[in-house]
Formats: sequence, structure tokens, C-alpha cells
Amino acid sequence: MLFSIVVSGVAIGCVYALIGIAYNVMFSASRVFSFTAGTLGMAGGILGALFILKLGLPVWAGFLLALAGGAVLGVVTEILAVRPVLKSLDQHLYVLSTLALALIVQQFAAIEWGTDAQPFPRLLNLERSSFDQTFWLPMLACAITIVGLEMLYRRTLLGHAFLAIAEDNYAARALGLPERNLRMASFALAGVIGALSGFAGGQMLLANFDIATQLTFYGFVPVALGGMGNNRGAVIAGLVLGLFQQAANFLVGGVFSSVAVFVAFILVLLARPEGLAGVALGRRV
Amino acid sequence: MDMSTTGIRPARASFLSSPAVSTALPWLGLAIIGSTLPLWAGGYWGVIATRACIYWVLVAGLNLLVGFAGQLAIGWVALLTLGAYITAVLTAGQAVPALDPYLALAISAVAGAVFGVVVGLPALRLRTFYFAITTLGFATIVRQIALAWSTVTGGGVGVAGPVFPEPFDSQWGFYYLCLIFAAICTWMTINIAGSRFGRALTAIRDAEVAAEASGIAKPRLLMAVFVFSGATAAVAGGLFASLQSYITPDAFTTELSVLFFIGVLIGGRGSIIGPLLGTILLTVLPEFAAPLVAWSTFLYAVLLLAIVLTMPGGIAELIDFKNRRPLQTNRAIVPRPELLKRLLAEDQEPGTLTLEQVELHFGGVRAIDGLDLTIVPGQVHGLIGPNGSGKTTTLNVISGYYIPQNGRAVLRGAVLTQLAHHRRAHMRIARTFQTPRIVGEASVLENVMIGGTIDGTGTFFESLLALPRHWKDEKKLRETATLALSAVGLEQLAHVRADRLQHSELRFVEIARALMLRPAFLLLDEPAAGLSADEIRRLGTLVVAMAKNGAGVLLVEHHADLIFDICDLVTVLNLGKKLAAGTPAEIRSHREVVSAYLGG
Amino acid sequence: MPTSAAEPLLKVAGLSSGYGKIGVLHGIDLAIGAGEVVALLGPNGAGKTTLLRAVSGLLPWSGSIHFGGQDLAGAGPREAAKAGLVHVIEGHRIFTQQSVYDNLLLAAYDLPRGERAARVEEALGYFPEIAEKRHERANQLSGGQQQMLAVAQGLVRRPKLLMLDEPSAGLSPVLVDRVFVVVRKLRESGTAVLLVEQLIDKALALADRVYALARGSIVLEAGTKESDLHHRLEHAYFATGSEQH
Repeated sequence: MLFSIVVSGVAIGCVYALIGIAYNVMFSASRVFSFTAGTLGMAGGILGALFILKLGLPVWAGFLLALAGGAVLGVVTEILAVRPVLKSLDQHLYVLSTLALALIVQQFAAIEWGTDAQPFPRLLNLERSSFDQTFWLPMLACAITIVGLEMLYRRTLLGHAFLAIAEDNYAARALGLPERNLRMASFALAGVIGALSGFAGGQMLLANFDIATQLTFYGFVPVALGGMGNNRGAVIAGLVLGLFQQAANFLVGGVFSSVAVFVAFILVLLARPEGLAGVALGRRV
Repeated sequence: MDMSTTGIRPARASFLSSPAVSTALPWLGLAIIGSTLPLWAGGYWGVIATRACIYWVLVAGLNLLVGFAGQLAIGWVALLTLGAYITAVLTAGQAVPALDPYLALAISAVAGAVFGVVVGLPALRLRTFYFAITTLGFATIVRQIALAWSTVTGGGVGVAGPVFPEPFDSQWGFYYLCLIFAAICTWMTINIAGSRFGRALTAIRDAEVAAEASGIAKPRLLMAVFVFSGATAAVAGGLFASLQSYITPDAFTTELSVLFFIGVLIGGRGSIIGPLLGTILLTVLPEFAAPLVAWSTFLYAVLLLAIVLTMPGGIAELIDFKNRRPLQTNRAIVPRPELLKRLLAEDQEPGTLTLEQVELHFGGVRAIDGLDLTIVPGQVHGLIGPNGSGKTTTLNVISGYYIPQNGRAVLRGAVLTQLAHHRRAHMRIARTFQTPRIVGEASVLENVMIGGTIDGTGTFFESLLALPRHWKDEKKLRETATLALSAVGLEQLAHVRADRLQHSELRFVEIARALMLRPAFLLLDEPAAGLSADEIRRLGTLVVAMAKNGAGVLLVEHHADLIFDICDLVTVLNLGKKLAAGTPAEIRSHREVVSAYLGG
Repeated sequence: MPTSAAEPLLKVAGLSSGYGKIGVLHGIDLAIGAGEVVALLGPNGAGKTTLLRAVSGLLPWSGSIHFGGQDLAGAGPREAAKAGLVHVIEGHRIFTQQSVYDNLLLAAYDLPRGERAARVEEALGYFPEIAEKRHERANQLSGGQQQMLAVAQGLVRRPKLLMLDEPSAGLSPVLVDRVFVVVRKLRESGTAVLLVEQLIDKALALADRVYALARGSIVLEAGTKESDLHHRLEHAYFATGSEQH
């Protein structure tokens, strides 16, 4: 029983962590939190089921197309919902534009795909076991993403450029870095990561348009607790969240586990508004 | 034509676009349509209209929270759910003995008020997006509790909604009940919008530091709004349960919550009529959109995106004909310093404001390194120095944004550095900012009236119900603000939206706002930046007159000529330390000052 | 020292710029010849930094700016750098979380991959103090070393005109001299420099010509060898208010 809790907890935690990373990547590139992160996860699941089950494509093709779909969504987010509002002085507009876009995509999925959860394909032709691919696929996805991002940021000039615009956007611009293209690329990357989360977690979560709201919230908890823009923090917080949720599920059952998670989240956040690893707000005047 | 004596004559405006008529017209139209509905619409539209009224009861309160206070409460459906279930359960007679529907509704309102505070409390500590997400969480939690607590709520099966007694038990009767509630909520929110509380909310939203400098205490005001919004949402819930006849948790989706939120923003912030029209649109859209519910949400979201990208002011901006009229292009700001006498009337001994050995460092940087400074009423004290010398930082220490590690600021025995920022206003210390902090969407007069918020005597509750003290406060604030605007020379722009003004005019608006506090001390942060030579001269005359009328002025500036022209005393800062202090003539010939100043 | 009669390298005419509603620069005319060192002086708030930001395209502007014959209308910092106009911004804002080497590599972002390493070495050649720290994180450097790194970033592009915004700010005299030695070397190799500076004497000693900016307008233009320069500068700064109407 404990084994089952740990395995499912870590698995769902990895899904949440990946969404959190998607939030972070978008935040680092634009200083803005986008409501579309959870929707990206939903897209990964739905596109995966669409390509593999409905259209009958091989798994690897469905995988690549789902990720491509995520990238496209990411770029669309940047162009339609982020870039236009960055110029304006109005602080809250980005919340509205990304919220609107997220809703548009979600409702479109509901219209085209239906509001019921649909099955997600079995990705690998292996026998079911207690440590099933349903669980280790998200873990693998999370691990690959973390390693991949590390290599991107440490070893490639593109990664360095991402870090530069995240740290000091103005200095990066003055230095001649192609700030707008880099931002678009970051959002595309966030799109891929979000879609990956939904695809890898598809067998657990199913292909369901309702997942978007769930992931929007649970994917943000790692960001809030781990510190804005802090990917390592997001992973740790995501895993803790997943384990806590599964344990609560087992101990007190369904509803009350959500309440427990939520209350714990609120309390931590009120005690430390910047998150457990974050940095306090700076000068306003 | 000499503008200073005759003022600007407004062009002959058409009857329809005169201010009084253009604001009253939509209300009149709605009132007529609303009250005569049964005469010309069928039962089907009656249900739609009832639903619109119920939604508006919630959105009216949410509007104050989201549109005025700028708090992104996207999960407010939690309170609708709460109100619906409480009212339904209390009248159903299964879990508890049945109560009178009105009593149940009242209890539900109280519960909503309390829970509104619970949901709203995080807003005081959390960043915008974080708060939005937590409200989303609340909405989900409440719905799940409704689902799980089946012994009371009936779980997935649900519970029957309340039925109101005669004459409201028929379909049209119930419609009129909801219409009455909607009208009451409209009236109350219009009252708040036109009160010092409504203006204070927009100040918190758009110009938080200016709100603090005007003495506005954010927590108390926000709590009042959470209480009100929570109560109205819960009442809406009770009415909703009655309309549905039977409620299940499915009825309270996140989509619905987000749609209420969007309704406020499509309507436009800081407006009442806008969000009302937005809510009507929300209710009516599904009737015109394709059969699927998702299509109407889809369209609504597309509308929101379009509005954010093209007309962030929403419907309110669209119907704001008043502010489409062109402004005169060569406007001059002509202050009338003789009016300052009436604004700065002395009624007590103001004392001197002293900084004693103040030290402030950030990390390794010594921003202020042992500074002594005295501001005496009736004097203009200039503070100059190269970039990074600590001028604005000193001003910010006096204002309370930085707490020095050593030393203190003292006024009349009170240690300022131990007080919260917004207490300065109560001590009649006013200030202006390096970049004008104003509420762009409000009129110039309203912006100035914000400065006098703490002078009001009526409570939030009294404003809600438009009781006598509310009107007395408004009259007094309006008169004082008009006087202040006349003193700085901008009275002809009083009803113009503030963001249409030029930068230099905004600087004078800030001064007018500061004058509302009848300040004993006035801190000016680079007021001359961006002003023409002419405007700087007039600014100088105004500042000198303010000092003559008893205020102690601290003038932080770059413009050497302004400083030397009007200051009685000048202190020169360099690297956080006092380099020299004396009369302008002494400073000007001081060798070190010249090189430090020229050099920086 | 050439103030060439031929077409100047940088030609600015009627430049106006500002921040949103706040107009800062009003109709600036300025010219810099190839290989010249020009100092831009003026009191705080005069608009010196704004001028540099407008020229490199960080701020919107109106008027005309021509560089090396090319019209810079609509060009941002990236296009300006490609044309040979490099702006080292105020406050030594380098990327503190990355190494010295990576900071310079970022400056070489638009260069062909094969050339990047060589250009980075070339830039490091001007500043041996930071060359030996090339693999250290930039936040380990002192303020002065960070300033040197910022200037080195500018040099990676082998600019025809290098604009430096208060490179001496916050530096000890020793490090200031080091930076100025590099500027001298640049002049010798034919690079033009536009230097905004606080240290008037050092700037005048280094420069060929000087512009003084006060309240958004040019109030003085002179060669640095001209007599009475100090007095004329003082006069230009303090007299502006009373002479305007």
C-alpha cells in the first residue's frame, strides 16, 4: 500500500512539477505568469489521444505531434496574449489576456473533443505491473526535462541567452540579443514541456478537457512554494505536493484530501508569500 | 483671448452628450425595460431576465472588488455556492427544521460576509497572480465539499431550492423580487463608487504609493469590500437556488466563476453601468450562440481577449462620450497662489520636522550616511546633489518607505520612523512623486479628492446607504478639491480624465492632491522634471506662496535655477552625507559644491 | 585630431526623445567623426543617458540619426551593433549568474560560430585582470571588474563607435585610470568613442571634443584644447535658466 502511494504520488508530482516548470519558463522570459500552463497539459493529453487513438498514428509520431502542438500553443500565447500587453503599463492585463486565451483553447477542446474524459492510449507494449508505465513515464519525462534544461542553460549559447533575458531583460536588449525571438522560443519551449506533462501523464489523467483547471491550480503550487522562476524548487515542491495528495487521499479520502492540500498550501503561502525559496519584493517607490 | 481670466468656454455640446444626461440615460433605459418586461416579453425571456438580475446581484459586489479595488478574485463562485446551499438547506427542512426563506437568505448573507473575508484575506499578503489562483482553489474546494457532505447537501443528488412566499412565488413575481435586489445593489454600489471609499479603492489599485501617502489604510478598506461582496454573492446564491428550483454541485462550475470575473472587465473597471451591461451580455449570449454551452463561453473569452488588446477600458470606455470631446491644445497652467490662504489655514503649532543622524544602507551600499536635516514651517528647504547622493532616498525615509538602521525622523515628539506609511497623512505631511502617480481612468477632480480621503467622517456603511454624512463629506471634499485645483491653476480641466492630461499638468494635479491634506509639511520629489521654463517659474511662485502660508517645504531637485531662486535654505548631499548647507548664495560659491554638482 | 570635413561617422540632427509623456531631449544636433573621442557632459537630468539610449535604439525617437551613411530609423540595439555602433549602458549591468567568459560569449551572439572564441579572447586582451578570472561567475567580481567586463562586452563587436555611459561611476581612481587607458588604446586603433562622464577633468584630458548638455539641449560644443573651457562649462550649466524665456 505504501509502495502504491509513493509511486502514484511521485508520478502525479512529476506531472505537477512539469507544469510548474512550464510556468517558470514563461515567467523567466517575460516576467509574467500565464494562465495557459494548465491548458498546455490538457492539450498534451488530448492531442496524444487524438493522434494515436483516433487517427491511428504510431506512438512516436503522436508524441512528436503532440509536442509540436504544445510549441505552437506556446508561440500563439506569446504573440497574442503576452507581447501586446508587455508594452502597456497596466499591471493586471497579462492575467486577463492569458486567461482569455486559456479559456478559448479549453472551450474549443470541449466543443471538438467533448466534455467527457476519453481514454488515453497505452504507449508502450508492456504488461501491466505495480510499477507500471502509467507511473514511470511521467517520472522519466520529468527527469529528461530537468537534465535537458540543465544542459540547455549550461552548455548552449541559446540557453545562456535565455538566462540573460531572465536575469536582466534591459541589459540583454542593450547588448544586442534578439530579445523578442528569444521570448518566443522560450514560450515554445514552455509549450513543449507543458504538452509533455499531459502526454506522459495521460494514462493517469486520461484525455480530458477538465484537466486544464486542475493542472492550472496544482501546477502553480510548485511555483508558489518553490519560488518564482526556480525550477529545482518547483520539482521538489511538486514531488512533495504529489506525495501529500496521495497520502491524504488514502488516509482521509477524496474530497478531504483536496481540502487538506489546499489548506496546507494557503497556510504556507501566507507564512511565506515568496515561497519557501523565493526572494522578497523589491522597492516600489 | 486671455484664458486665465475667462477660463475655457466649453463648446456647445449636444443635449445627449452633456454629462448629466449621458450618465442618466442608460440607467433610465434599463429601468424602463426592466420594470415593464412582463408587458412585452414572454415567459422564456422572463427567466433570462431573472437570471440576469441574480447574476448582477453577485457581479455588483464583485465589481467593487475586481473593478475598483483591482483584486483578481476569479473564484468568487465559491460564495455563490455557499449562499445557494445555505439558503436551500435551511428552507428544505431535511437536515434542519425549515426556516422562513427571507431569514435563510439573511443568514446566508451573513455567512457570505464572513466567508468573503476568509477568501479575501490572502489578498493582503499575496501577489496578484497568486491570489487569483488561491480563489480558484477556494471555488473548487467549496464545490467538492458540497459534493461530499451528502447528509446535509444531498451530495451529487442535490437539494431543492427555496420558494419565496406571495407575491414572489410566481414566475413574474420572483422576477420582480430579483429586480428589486438588483436595483438595491446597483444603488448601493453607485453610492460607494461616488464616495471617498470608491475613489480610495481605485487609488489602491492604480497608485498604491499615492494612496498610502494620502493616508488610505488598505487592509481595512479591502476587508469592508470583501464583506460586502461576500454578502451580495451569497444572496445571489440564495436567489439562484430558487430560480433553479433544484441545485446540484454541477451548477457551480469554474467556468461560471471566471465568466462573472470577465463580465466586470468587459464592462470596464471603475464603472457600474459597464459591468451591468457586461452581465446582461453574459446572460443573454448563450441564447444567441450555438446550442453548446461551450460556444458561449468561447465567444465570451474571445470578446475578453479582443477588449484587452484593443480597448482595455471595456464597454465603459466605449460609452464614455464625455471624454471623447477634444481638449484645447495650448492650455496654460495659471496658478492662483492667493487661494492658498484658504487651504493652508493654520490651527495649531506644527513643530519642526527633523532628521537625526539617519543612516540607511542596502546590502553594502550606504545610501544615507549620518544625515541631520531640519524642515521649518514657512521655509522652502532645497535638497540637491549628484545622482545617487541620496536625495530621493531621504524623502522616502521621511515618507516611511525605508526604515533607517540608525537615527530617526521626528515631528512634534512622534518618531516618524516607527509609524506605518499611511500615518504621515494624519500628521499633515504630504508629498508628490518623481513620476506622477494618478488614477488615469478617473477625472482630475476625483484624483484630487483622493487626497482628502481621511477628512471624511462617514463610514463605509453610511456611504453604502447614502446617509446624510456621506453627502456632507462629498460636498466638502468636492469644494476643497475645486479650491485646490483653482489654486494650482487647473480648474478648467476638473472633469477631464486624468490620463488625457500632459505630463506637466499631472505634476500640478499631484500638488493639488497634496494640498487636500492642508499640509504642515510638503515633500516635493523633483517636481520640475519635464516642465517648460515658464511652468517652472509658475511652480516656483506656487511653492513660495505655500511656504508663506505656513507650510514647511522640502524640495528635492536637479534644476539649479529653481533651487537658487526660491529656496531659503539649501542642503547639498553627496554620497549620502551632507556636503554643505546654507543659503543659496553661500552654496553657489562653495567650491566643493560646484565641482561635485558640475561633476554629477 | 580629425574633426573631419568629410561625412562624419555619426550624424544626429533634430533628435527628440523621452519616456512616455515626458519629453527629455529637444532637437539635438551632434556629429562624431571616425576615430574621434568625444565627451558628453552635463548636470543630472540633462538627458545624457537618454541621448545614448535614443541613438542605440533603446528608446523611441524622432529626428534623424545616420551612422556610417546608414539611416538608423527603426533600428534597435541589435541592428546598431551590426552596423558597428555599440552602447555600453550605465551601471555595469552584466549577467551576474553567468561566468565572465559566457558574458562575453553572449556579446558575440550575432557573430559566426567559428569567430566567437577568437573575439572573446581579443576583448579579454584589453583587460588582463578579468582574463585570468574568465571562468568565475560574474557576481564574484568587484564593481570595478564588472565595469571592465561590461566594456569588454562592447569590444567583442569591434565597434566603429563605442558609446560608454559613465564608465567611472562607483570605481576607485586606479580602476578608472585602467578604463581610460583602454579608451586611449581604442582611439589609437581608430575606434571612435562617445564618452558620458562625471569626472570632467579626466574626460577632457582624454577627449578631442566636448558637448555639454543641459535640460535636453546642447548648450556648448568645443574642442578640448580651447582656452577658458572650464569657465564656459560652468557658465553653460548655471546660466541656462535665467537666459531662457
